[in-house]
Amino acid sequence: MIARLSLAERVGAVGLAALALAWIAGALLNRETFFDPVLFGLGSGAIIAALAIGLVVAFRASGVINFGHGAVATYVTYVYVSLVSDGRYPVPPLPNPLAPIEGIAGIEIFDFPTFINMGDSMPRIPALLIALATAAALGLVAHFAIFRPLRYAPVLAKVIASLGIMLFLQAAVVLRFGARAKAAEPIFPNEPVEIFGARVGQDRLWILGTVAVITAGLWLLFRYSRFGIATRAGAENERFATLLGFNADFAAGVNWVMASVLAGLVGILVSPITGVTPNFFTVLLISSLGAALLGRMSSFVIAAVAGFMLGIVDQQLFRLELEWDWIPDIGIRRALPFVVIALAMVIRGESLPSRGALTVERLPDAHSPRITRGRVIAYGVLIAGAFWLTVFAPFQYRNGMQNSMIGIILALSLVVVTGYVGQISLMQMALAGVSAFAVASFVNQAEMTLLVAVPLAVASGVGFGLIAAIPSLRTRGASLAIVTLASGLAIAEIFFARPGWFGLDRGIKTAGTPAIFGVEFGPNSKFFLGDGKVPTGGYGVFLLFVVAACCISVMRLRRSRLGEQMLAVRANERAAAAAGVNVAAIKLSAFAISSFLAALGGTLIAFDLGTFGGDSFGIFASLTLLAFAYLGGISTVGGAITAGTLFSEGIGIVVTNEWFIDVGPYTAYVAGFFLIATAVYNNEGIDGFQRKQVQQLGARLNRLWRLRAPTKADA
Amino acid sequence: MSWFVLIKRSDLLCVWRLAMSDAVLATVGLKVRFGGLVAVDDVSLECRRGRLTGLIGPNGAGKTTFIDAVTGFLPNNSKGSVLLEGEEVFGCSPHRLSHYGLTRTWQTLELFDDVTVRSNLDIASRRLTVGSALLDYFRPRQRAERVDEVLELLNLGDIAERQPRELSQGQRKLVGVGRALVAESSNILLLDEPAAGLDKAETEWFGAQLRCLVDQGYTMLVVDHDMGLVLNVCDFIHMLVFGQLTASGTPDVMRNNADVIAAYLGHSGTG
Repeated sequence: MIARLSLAERVGAVGLAALALAWIAGALLNRETFFDPVLFGLGSGAIIAALAIGLVVAFRASGVINFGHGAVATYVTYVYVSLVSDGRYPVPPLPNPLAPIEGIAGIEIFDFPTFINMGDSMPRIPALLIALATAAALGLVAHFAIFRPLRYAPVLAKVIASLGIMLFLQAAVVLRFGARAKAAEPIFPNEPVEIFGARVGQDRLWILGTVAVITAGLWLLFRYSRFGIATRAGAENERFATLLGFNADFAAGVNWVMASVLAGLVGILVSPITGVTPNFFTVLLISSLGAALLGRMSSFVIAAVAGFMLGIVDQQLFRLELEWDWIPDIGIRRALPFVVIALAMVIRGESLPSRGALTVERLPDAHSPRITRGRVIAYGVLIAGAFWLTVFAPFQYRNGMQNSMIGIILALSLVVVTGYVGQISLMQMALAGVSAFAVASFVNQAEMTLLVAVPLAVASGVGFGLIAAIPSLRTRGASLAIVTLASGLAIAEIFFARPGWFGLDRGIKTAGTPAIFGVEFGPNSKFFLGDGKVPTGGYGVFLLFVVAACCISVMRLRRSRLGEQMLAVRANERAAAAAGVNVAAIKLSAFAISSFLAALGGTLIAFDLGTFGGDSFGIFASLTLLAFAYLGGISTVGGAITAGTLFSEGIGIVVTNEWFIDVGPYTAYVAGFFLIATAVYNNEGIDGFQRKQVQQLGARLNRLWRLRAPTKADA
Repeated sequence: MSWFVLIKRSDLLCVWRLAMSDAVLATVGLKVRFGGLVAVDDVSLECRRGRLTGLIGPNGAGKTTFIDAVTGFLPNNSKGSVLLEGEEVFGCSPHRLSHYGLTRTWQTLELFDDVTVRSNLDIASRRLTVGSALLDYFRPRQRAERVDEVLELLNLGDIAERQPRELSQGQRKLVGVGRALVAESSNILLLDEPAAGLDKAETEWFGAQLRCLVDQGYTMLVVDHDMGLVLNVCDFIHMLVFGQLTASGTPDVMRNNADVIAAYLGHSGTG
């Protein structure tokens, strides 16, 4: 057994053992500093562990790392809280087919019910059963409607679909319950008990016990039952499993239900202790992903133990930050999931996949249009229209255009790294944030000129991107998505959420008005065209130039040798390496270019009208960005442009608001829904869809034309 | 010559022979281990210049593992020595080996499906440095003559602008060979089961193509099940059984070798 471990694994094991010994010694010497946090950490550790084993169940069932797992827990918990407190069962917001008509006519024809009343307040047991039944239904839908159709799809599509579930369910919770925290009445007794002189709530121990029992049960089930074998066989190779007489599909469905019910149960059990907000479990899920990764997405026991350890270490670091003054108060513990995940990757990852993947469906086509006269004219018309909208249209359209153009640049950053090289990055907005905060502080505090501040800020964004990209050299696919998610969280929590960094106070900031050589071109500056109201056209025209330059550069990248090698890495890392492509260098250069674009987008946000805070650059902003980029079309520049129009408060949203209905509160909800649909039915996004339609139309017209006028070539 | 002190004494003779011979590629005591399983056990063989060397063996004999180890895909599981044109290359990464002219194809093809046949070759044709990447980005690309040459050589000119998934299996195999051939300094080609998935006529046609390439001076190692292909087109054949080299010889010798018949032909019936 020992001989099989690699050197890195052995070093890691020895290090862990040494740390554990030191900890025990510390606990014996100083109970308050080193033992109390262990007890306090059990609560959050239990949630992390339970979510982690749920992730392992889902992964075993269909090889999917389910980013929506935390959102399932949240949704089910809210259902339970609603039933217990008001006796109302929430109906998920349904698409109202009459909405466009209602919007135009300004009347409400039909009102969908939002809640089903079931009396005043429900006793705990029936409420629990109804909530868990809801969880089971969610699990069935996740399997049969989403992940079963995706079983041969590329990892990217699966990750996107699970992100869609997350966005959709979280948005549903916000729509139905608002963003306020809720808590249910406790199920377990919560009188404190005393352990070795430390007092701790009894309920924590109950939850600890529950999670331990569930873990042991799952381990036994998967180890010894025919069902467990069927699941494993089905996840490995569904066709063979079916030939052997296992109903792999049924087993996978049951597993999804188990994972989902488990998530719901955890949420309901812990909500009395922690309370629950719409994104509470999704933030915790990042730690769980780390724990599950440590167990290679297959070991329940390792995942559960690692989950508890993460919770405990988190509490311990919190305590030490309070007690030891020499630790800088920058929230080091927030980086814990990232550190654990990155280490797990470096220790257990592989620089090239050891086996070729099973035959999977195609990745979205990285279409590169030939430059014809017709296309040049079309681009010209597009740019002219954009120019008119940014300069002469009413102010809300001008504002929408500015937001969209920044969105295009941010989406382009994903086109390079995810579309061309296939590396899923969930930290783009964090990189944008680094450069936004940096430029704001360089301009305001250090009083640098723009020509110095902007390149420096962008360079710092690229630096962060490259550091976070190092684990990508030894990992790929969904694991990389987890690494980048954790690094995005670490950057946001450490740098944006607290004062001190970049010499800025906590809160809201702006980089002020951009000016070069005394010529101001900010959204508030005077511009010689347009009606002179804020935002003026000057900044929009500036953005238009930047966006055009970025789009052309990325198109050229696609055609260049570097771009071809990027596509080779995306198609097949092993074959690319065998063909002489330096896979590591290509990945790093893609991350560098992508970070550059993201950081550029960040500085543009800093100069934009209004102010910005840390929330603009948190992990959910990054997830939403990927959602829009994928919806638009992840692998083409046209897709990025489409994504920009969909961007929050972008021109597409403004037009919808002005002409049809106010979609504002529903944006995330609708985006989540369409994201799932895009991942399952059309992985090329809106851009690819349009392209195919146009091609088909062209072919049809061509046929018609030929029927009428046979040419020499036909004869 | 750090490998010199590491190798076993019995290998010294082998090394001496190599130095005297005209081997493009040689392995000395190559060993691959997966946990407790020894997949390739002390294999020493050589591929001579301008020859088509065959490597045969029953399923699970370690043929593909051998190629993986030689081309640097199993850095953590293998040890031994790989000599390319007399230089030690063991431990080099796959892309570096490709730059040195040690290239391979795959049983499962592993073409780049998103780009055209020409791009498939283009990607492999030239190594990209920071300088050349920048130059290519800012200046219009010159057409790679080498790519045209190989396309011509393999008669792929007509399908150069099509995508691999639109081609027949035989054509795709040929694209795989082309991608391996096109490397800047092609020294030797390792072909992993090139006949898998081809019917008899296609196999014969493919074998003729290979023979034609070898007659033009290319050096190759072919791993295959299809005894017909291997016996008809190879100059020299090695046989692996359970990771060990059990027999070597010319096709005529191998045809009559008792080990080969027992391990392979006895129940295969082909050839």
